Amino acid sequence: MTPATPLLEVRALAKRFGAQVALQDVSLEIAAGEIHALAGENGAGKSTLTAILSGALAPDEGTILWEGRPVVLPDARAAQALGVSIVHQEPQLVPSLSVAENIGLGRLPHRAGPMRLVDAGAMRAAARAALDLLGVAVPVDAPVGAIGAAQRQLVAIARALHFGARLIMLDEPTSSLSLGEVQALLTSLRALRARGTTLVYISHRLEELRALADRVTVLRDGRVVTTAAMAAMSNEALITAMSGRELAADLQGGPPPPGREPCLRVRGLAQAGRLHDLTLAVREGEVVGLAGLMGSGRSRALRTIFGADRRDAGTVEVRTGEGWRGVHDVAGAIAAGMGLVPEDRRALGLVFTATVGDNIGLRTPPDGRRWGFLRTHVLRAVAEAALARLRIKARGIDAPVRTLSGGNQQKVVLGRWLRDTRVLLLDEPTRGVDVSAKAEIHRHLRELAASGMALVVASSEIPELLALSDRIVVMRQGRMVGELDRARATPAEILSLATGATETRAS
Amino acid sequence: MRTPWWQRLAPLLGLFLLCLVLSLASPHFLTVDNLLNVLRQSAINAILALGQLVVIITAGIDLSIGSVVGLTIVILTLLMRHGVSAPLAALLALGVGTLIGLANGLLLTRLRLPHPFISTLGTLNVARGAALLLAGGVPISGLPPRFREVVAGSLAGIPMPVVIAALAYLVTHVFLSRTVYGRDLYAIGGNREAARLCGIPVDRRLNLAYALSGAAAGLAAIVLAARMNSGFPLAGTGAELDAIAAVIIGGASFFGGVGTVGGTLIGALIIGFLRNGLNLLDVSAFWQMIVIGVVIVVAVWIDVLRQRVGRAA
Repeated sequence: MTPATPLLEVRALAKRFGAQVALQDVSLEIAAGEIHALAGENGAGKSTLTAILSGALAPDEGTILWEGRPVVLPDARAAQALGVSIVHQEPQLVPSLSVAENIGLGRLPHRAGPMRLVDAGAMRAAARAALDLLGVAVPVDAPVGAIGAAQRQLVAIARALHFGARLIMLDEPTSSLSLGEVQALLTSLRALRARGTTLVYISHRLEELRALADRVTVLRDGRVVTTAAMAAMSNEALITAMSGRELAADLQGGPPPPGREPCLRVRGLAQAGRLHDLTLAVREGEVVGLAGLMGSGRSRALRTIFGADRRDAGTVEVRTGEGWRGVHDVAGAIAAGMGLVPEDRRALGLVFTATVGDNIGLRTPPDGRRWGFLRTHVLRAVAEAALARLRIKARGIDAPVRTLSGGNQQKVVLGRWLRDTRVLLLDEPTRGVDVSAKAEIHRHLRELAASGMALVVASSEIPELLALSDRIVVMRQGRMVGELDRARATPAEILSLATGATETRAS
Repeated sequence: MRTPWWQRLAPLLGLFLLCLVLSLASPHFLTVDNLLNVLRQSAINAILALGQLVVIITAGIDLSIGSVVGLTIVILTLLMRHGVSAPLAALLALGVGTLIGLANGLLLTRLRLPHPFISTLGTLNVARGAALLLAGGVPISGLPPRFREVVAGSLAGIPMPVVIAALAYLVTHVFLSRTVYGRDLYAIGGNREAARLCGIPVDRRLNLAYALSGAAAGLAAIVLAARMNSGFPLAGTGAELDAIAAVIIGGASFFGGVGTVGGTLIGALIIGFLRNGLNLLDVSAFWQMIVIGVVIVVAVWIDVLRQRVGRAA
């Protein structure tokens, strides 16, 4: 036995979702009283790991040791009883209840007697005590809906402390906070460490990891790449560990597009506080990748170009047969020949109560309707053609769309835009689909581009962007911070622009 | 949009079983006279249910239709008593119903009220109050005899209310299954955001759906005026609940995106036959309420089970 038994240790943890490997052979130790950073790209396995440690997911293999003793965490309550809590990016609190009630919810102090009246005084005192540990003054009687995002984070942490947490995992706690709020939060977390609470901290922002963490574990593709003292890892070493090097092989693809005409022109597009001065031109047959961390404004950029989100400034134009045409709303965008494959097919893409054919025909091509009536034979032909061209595996166009696999559902969304489309915007086009469907969708996208369609692809997976794009635009905090052409783009360079490790604006 | 056959089969099976049981239980049930009687009595609820179906498909609800019947019946009968010709008065009544429905839609899409339950609950009270004010609290009588003879009479042996309902069902069926508008309503109910991102003008379509529901209420008011031969300001009180029951028993989903004209017809007939059969069997009206309540709950429970199966698939 080592002199200091780690507070928490995991050994050879593995987790699979169907054919997809989320975690494999993950072993790490969290020492008592340290702040341990978890770093990695989206999909590296950070969330799966914290979900297992907080009792929300059961591992397929491996053991968890708490102070050297093996434990099983069947649910969140068991983890909480042990002293492990998780605070999510968007803390799950009840907005209409007060800060004190939220902190105590589930174990509110009550007076004796059959009515179990809440002891409001004791409740407030307990809430204040928990907030004092963080060294902050949050009004305990204010409703949680009325306080800011930063204070909500603190309330969630105080709630964990009130429940006796000794290890708190924080999943991207700063993604919606301003710079000043981030500093305040970091100060509170340091105060917590000084009192002996152990923290696991997940963030994409390298400067935060550097300012806070004692040690860092880097995950990639579900495996631990390295665990090291934070001070011993340079930014370059971290980025290399996160992105890996073997990705260059993915760079094959067709030749760069010949000198074709531009067909999408975006100038000075802005949405107050969220999107700033987006300017972009895309040529026929060109694929532009949109890179950036979660919350960098990729999706918002696409939705605003498409006219689906409010626009405060700027213009969007598509070149049609009759010259440039301004786009102001979704109907106008579609009429001009623009299409959008949204990021979440379940929430935004598909009508789950409808059939495959009706979902494809939802974006009705001009010849699919006449005098308000649907031209069923045209729509069926369009749907059949999409089914054949994208090799959608379904019993036919009358099959309910919910019976299809994720990859085939994604192809249904794509299938809407095969005809009468000049510019196609795609947001995470392969999220949650299996590897073979992903390769197939990539091939279809290349074919669409080769036929002259202009594509803008936003993705959180850098290999995907490298495999598809002619050039890659990197976004950070709602701005374009760099543009790299395919020959020069490397994962490390993209990541360093996206995280702000390099501030220089590449051309 | 098509629903799997087994989803549509459940209500039809229910209707069939009900008729089988009733014809065994009462010798008076399976007679031409009685069947026509049930159809005549079901026509008004069936027309109201049609409007309700259009709204429920969009994942909405229209609580105001009973009151809209009351208001339009008062306006219709007042117009006729003041010498307006019956066809013109009927047309105006349809217009009034449509306008109130449109107002329901605008409350939802312009004021962005959080749920149509609220907007149409408001209209329910406003329309009923307006009906009572206009009528001075008493029924309006003295309608032209010809109006009653035509609208409450029969055509080739079939009661005119049944003919009117049948036409309304045919038109609505074509509207929902063959037109862009109908298809858009299913899409909005199934996934509003996906519909919007496919360029469907969601607000305009919702306004249309509520306007149609109001129009159905106006049509029901015309038929009811002829059958009652008067304009009673409290006419249609609670009618929205029977209409909702018919739509839900007919297999439409409160979650939106699912529902057919055929199912709704079956739902309205199940309620009609149930009332009729219980009357023939001399079951008290109090027990009838209990039975219908149970049928509604069971039908929605089946809907919930279907949703669960749908999610698991």
